[in-house]
Amino acid sequence: MSTDLSHFKNAFFEESQEHLTTIEEGLLQLEQRPGDIDLLNRIFRGAHSIKGNSGMFGFTAVSQFTHKMESVLDQLRSSQMVVTVEITDLLLQSLDCLKTLIDCAKTGESPDEAQIARLGAQLEACQGGTPAATPSTPAATPRHAQLQGAHHFTITWVPPRYLFQRGLDPVQFIKELGDLGSVTSVILDTSRLPALTDLDPEQCYLGWTIEVDTVKDLKVIEAVFDFVREDSTLTIVDTPPPVEESHSTSDGTKPLGEILVETGVVSQSQLNQALSQQKRVGEILVEQKIATPEQISEALKKQTESSAPSKKAETPSIRVDTVKIDRLINLVGELVITQSMLSDLGSRFEMSQLPVLLERVAQLERNTREIQERVMGIRMVPIGNAFSRFPRLVRDLSGKAGKKIHLILSGEETELDKTVIESIGDPLTHLVRNSADHGLEPPDERVAAGKPEQGTIRLNAFHEGGNICITVEDDGRGLNRDKILAKGIKQGLIAETDKLSDEQIWMLIFKPGFSTAEKVTDVSGRGVGMDVVKRNIEGLGGTVSIKTSAGKGTTFTLKLPLTLAIIEGMTVRVGKDTYIVPLLSILESIQPRREMIKTLVGKGELVNVRGTYLPLMRLYDVFRLEPELSDPTKAILLILETEGERVAVMVDEILGQQQVVIKSMEQNFRKIEGVAGATILGDGTVGFILDVRGLLTIARQGKAKAA
Amino acid sequence: MAKTVLVVDDSPTMRQMVAFTLTNAGYQVVEAGNGKEAVGKVNGGAKPDLVVTDLNMPEMDGITLIKEIRKMPALKFTPILMLTTEASDDKKKAGQAAGATGWIVKPFNPEQMMAVIKKVLPG
Repeated sequence: MSTDLSHFKNAFFEESQEHLTTIEEGLLQLEQRPGDIDLLNRIFRGAHSIKGNSGMFGFTAVSQFTHKMESVLDQLRSSQMVVTVEITDLLLQSLDCLKTLIDCAKTGESPDEAQIARLGAQLEACQGGTPAATPSTPAATPRHAQLQGAHHFTITWVPPRYLFQRGLDPVQFIKELGDLGSVTSVILDTSRLPALTDLDPEQCYLGWTIEVDTVKDLKVIEAVFDFVREDSTLTIVDTPPPVEESHSTSDGTKPLGEILVETGVVSQSQLNQALSQQKRVGEILVEQKIATPEQISEALKKQTESSAPSKKAETPSIRVDTVKIDRLINLVGELVITQSMLSDLGSRFEMSQLPVLLERVAQLERNTREIQERVMGIRMVPIGNAFSRFPRLVRDLSGKAGKKIHLILSGEETELDKTVIESIGDPLTHLVRNSADHGLEPPDERVAAGKPEQGTIRLNAFHEGGNICITVEDDGRGLNRDKILAKGIKQGLIAETDKLSDEQIWMLIFKPGFSTAEKVTDVSGRGVGMDVVKRNIEGLGGTVSIKTSAGKGTTFTLKLPLTLAIIEGMTVRVGKDTYIVPLLSILESIQPRREMIKTLVGKGELVNVRGTYLPLMRLYDVFRLEPELSDPTKAILLILETEGERVAVMVDEILGQQQVVIKSMEQNFRKIEGVAGATILGDGTVGFILDVRGLLTIARQGKAKAA
Repeated sequence: MAKTVLVVDDSPTMRQMVAFTLTNAGYQVVEAGNGKEAVGKVNGGAKPDLVVTDLNMPEMDGITLIKEIRKMPALKFTPILMLTTEASDDKKKAGQAAGATGWIVKPFNPEQMMAVIKKVLPG
């Protein structure tokens, strides 16, 4: 039987990732609670599982290295060693190395041997130099085993009394011997049977003498009794039957060489030397000019290729809580019921049943919507996964910067689309770094300002409307308005005469080139700019905003869409075309009166909505369409908001509200300013989804042109 | 009727692999993530012909599980194999003392595992 387990590799890598996280979190907590046995057990189990699993896939480098870590953890667990900062540091470093090793196992790259060796040696050294045993690997069959011929074993076996109580069956042993060769005789020994009154039917009183003819050697026969050997009386005697000389070994007789050695014609070493002169098939074929060396090496290459495990492309997978799947299956059940109710109704439909039909259709809609939500939910994973790297990061940062930092995580259970979680790690890391490096003051400065010596960074995630908000909050010195302003002017990002709101000033730090040079807080930077953060978040369809208060701290808020694939939209009509406006950005829709509309030089058209003038955009102008209505008082104005800015967009008619699946414009066509994507509408036509932020930009540019 | 094997391991990968190999070989598989879950499955009506269990597990470890199983009249004589990475005899002995039938040393390949299972499970 051959079973390919390679497709479990992905599962292994995913599971390992979880164990790595467990170990890392555990190690960090261990510093606070060094005596926590449960914690140590949890860390140990993580390492243990990685060791065991990696061995199964032949990742010996991983399993050997983990073994060394495990040994240290085991000693900590059994209180033979105490947790010190040095050991935690070493274990954390080893963990990083283990991560790399696992990554290498995944990609097939070769790891940094020197580092592995160094850490391995340190791990061994810290346990007092006890050399670590490597996990046993099945030994290759020794050469002499092949040289041996037939055996005739006589086995006398008296099993332990408890045989049955351990789930063992003597018949199995005899059967297994039969698989190894042929059992020529089995004699039952009943001499130990007690009187019937004393007999415990759950005990084994019997013994056997078994004779086996086999080509297998003693070790193999002994292995049959592996599980009972210690408590059995077992003798195995090899009484070889008389051998007839034969050149063939395939039928189980002794090879010539061995007999020659036995009869003293040649010595073992002479035989070995003679055997070593034996040529390989390839060499012989080349010598006889039947094949060229190239052909042989080609064939050898093929041989190794076929034996080497094929490298498979990594397919992304997701682990889903079975509860989610179960609910989904229930829903599908309901959908099937609704469907059968509908087809039943359809087969004998009368107009009088219209209300019933409508009710069923409504039910179908409910089912579909719920299934859709649940299916999207499968992609949702708790953000805790993305948060888990920060305790370590903050620990390292506080060490490097000489600051005391307390990290508080909350809202880890908030769920977010897997792709979003994957892309959010880097921007978040940058923000946390930024807070630790620049936001928080050094301890003495904090004390002088009357703050606790230890700074706090708080990471929080929560739902707000259809969005996920992630905040990175510090209680540091806050952003310096004047410095940023001065810097912005110096770098030509703004003009001195510009009047900017605080909000707009803070956003300057996200401008490319702003943060790479001298930092706002005059602390050396890390080379990655805040502009990258903003770009990444916006790439996910999210926004970044800043709240800061001098001397009290800064809060960065990332607002992200729950999912990237489906939005709730309002369908509107302009001329003959249908557009979709993301529902979340619509504040209200109005039909303006004549006096509400003003045209200002340099500002274009404005509409007065309850005292606030908003730029008025005629959608048909933006997309150069033929409108049905060109008079704003007859058309509809949608008031849209994004990033705190508002715009009034004029359309002919509002058609309705529906969920739409976003299809990328870039992938299917090309990017169009003011359009976020496209979707297929109910009637099969394509509708464009408006990009509100893009529209605002167009509005501003239009303003600039007019000016 | 297909024989049922109860596979107990806290590592899903390991569990899946063992289960996959057994299913391929024509066995029915019941899985449990730790000893407690395994006891629950048995009390819930699972009647394994063989138990394959890891030793290091949260909630209830393998040794305790083996002891628990041996206490159940229906499973008194059921073969139990432990999965172990320890090459040391201590664990094996502790397992045997608790009533384990035998062991499979990790890492193992499917053939090795099936060989051990064939050893203890009447075919």
